[in-house]
Amino acid sequence: MSDMNIDLELDLKGLLCPMPMVKVSQNITNVPVGGIIRAVATDAGSMADIPAWAKSTGNEVLQAEKIDGQFVFLVKRVK
Amino acid sequence: MEKKTIESMVGVLDARMNRQLKQYMDICARCAICKDACHQYVATGDMKYLPARRAELLRQIYRKYFTKAGQFMPALYEAREPDENLIDELYESTYACTGCRRCTYFCPFSIDTGWITAVSKGVLIAAGRGNEMLGQLADAALFKADNMDMFDSIIVDGFKDVERELREETGRDVAIPVDVAGADILYVALAGSHSIKPAAVIFDAAGASWTLSKFEAANYGFFFGDPAKAKLIADRFMNEAKRLGVKEVVITECGHAYRVAEMFYEAWAKEKMPFKVRHILEVIDDYIKDGRITVDPKAITQRVTYHDPCQIGRNGGIYEQPRDIVTAIAPDFVDMTPNRETQWCCGGGGGIVAMEEFNTVRLASGGKKVEQIRATGATILACPCENCRLQIEELDKVHDLGLRIVPVMELVAEALVPKK
Ligand code: SF4
Ligand code: SF4
Repeated sequence: MSDMNIDLELDLKGLLCPMPMVKVSQNITNVPVGGIIRAVATDAGSMADIPAWAKSTGNEVLQAEKIDGQFVFLVKRVK
Repeated sequence: MEKKTIESMVGVLDARMNRQLKQYMDICARCAICKDACHQYVATGDMKYLPARRAELLRQIYRKYFTKAGQFMPALYEAREPDENLIDELYESTYACTGCRRCTYFCPFSIDTGWITAVSKGVLIAAGRGNEMLGQLADAALFKADNMDMFDSIIVDGFKDVERELREETGRDVAIPVDVAGADILYVALAGSHSIKPAAVIFDAAGASWTLSKFEAANYGFFFGDPAKAKLIADRFMNEAKRLGVKEVVITECGHAYRVAEMFYEAWAKEKMPFKVRHILEVIDDYIKDGRITVDPKAITQRVTYHDPCQIGRNGGIYEQPRDIVTAIAPDFVDMTPNRETQWCCGGGGGIVAMEEFNTVRLASGGKKVEQIRATGATILACPCENCRLQIEELDKVHDLGLRIVPVMELVAEALVPKK
């Protein structure tokens, strides 16, 4: 995953749910179709929220992982 | 505009028409008293944010299709067939409205703009112009709830993390019970742990029999303006409450979520629920007054003020319990002026914090709240609504207010005196 081209970095640390999902949703059109957002959140609720938003909007979560107490997402814009 | 689209818009208006809505459509005196009541109009002077104008746009459609005069003499009676211009204006004024109903309080006829904009949202959805962001958030919530097998373990693991964090923060084992059949309370929180931790500590101190819902209280279907979706979202925790056989559903510090559960759900479901619904602050107030928890009356030494969220105060009728709680733990409490029924909306309601396109009007419309907060000299703002907190946190940064903005229950958790 580390060699992946990231189009937009989103620092969502400190934001409480559902705001991490809202921010990803607001920013998805700021990357081209096929583009990738890397988002880092600290609220555990984002682990379900962001994948659910991606599934319901037809986008793709390439990674959703807890790393050193932070939740790291790679979200690909599909359409 | 296509005939079919217009028909479905008019169909929505027809389906939502009742005696009250018809009255709101017929009786505006154009006195403009409401202009000084709306924080958005006061801040911008923009006609599209004038309460009477928001209603007038829907009235134009109403007159065209529901009155003889409007049908036959549209120009004379200001009746209008919807076109793209009308829909654009309706969209702007409707989704910007926070539903605070301050205008309703001052209107001599109590015309309920919050209700009118709720109907306008239905009309906009029928025209394919529902707000996209709110629609997405509503769909995400439904997807999560419909696919619990996919998310169940993630959610339950999240609760275990909260337990671990509470152990580190409090030095005590505070359980987060889930799926407990026969518990007295089903507590419905938000997805974030901030709405779980203080409640867990307080329930634990009170020796309450409770269980945490796997579903969240927030309801973007309500903000979007689709009662069917809003019901489906609320169904999840209401059905969970039935399945577990709890005595009451307790909603976290979130204004619209409380209103959905307490004021709308039974009408949507056409069914009486076998449990009562309360806001967490009603429960905590009882715990303090009944001596089930002990709080230090001098625990919070800084000056505290309290913001009445519109959905809990003016629209929910809960004014005194939060104040009683705050004054029980903070000797230096200063209320804002005006307050209770006439408090100013902070500008963050109705889902507007999620809709970036309204950022300018949203931040400008917080001006009255900023003035009110400044006048109290408080450094802590207790606020029992997530949307209000998000808005006031932003106002705090923009206007350098130096505030600590906290849920009321977080202050209570800090003020708890451990049982001997
Ligand atoms: S205060 Fe009421 S009656 Fe007067 S203009 Fe406003 S909505 Fe109409
Ligand atoms: S409900 Fe609130 S935001 Fe909407 S028009 Fe009335 S005062 Fe303004």
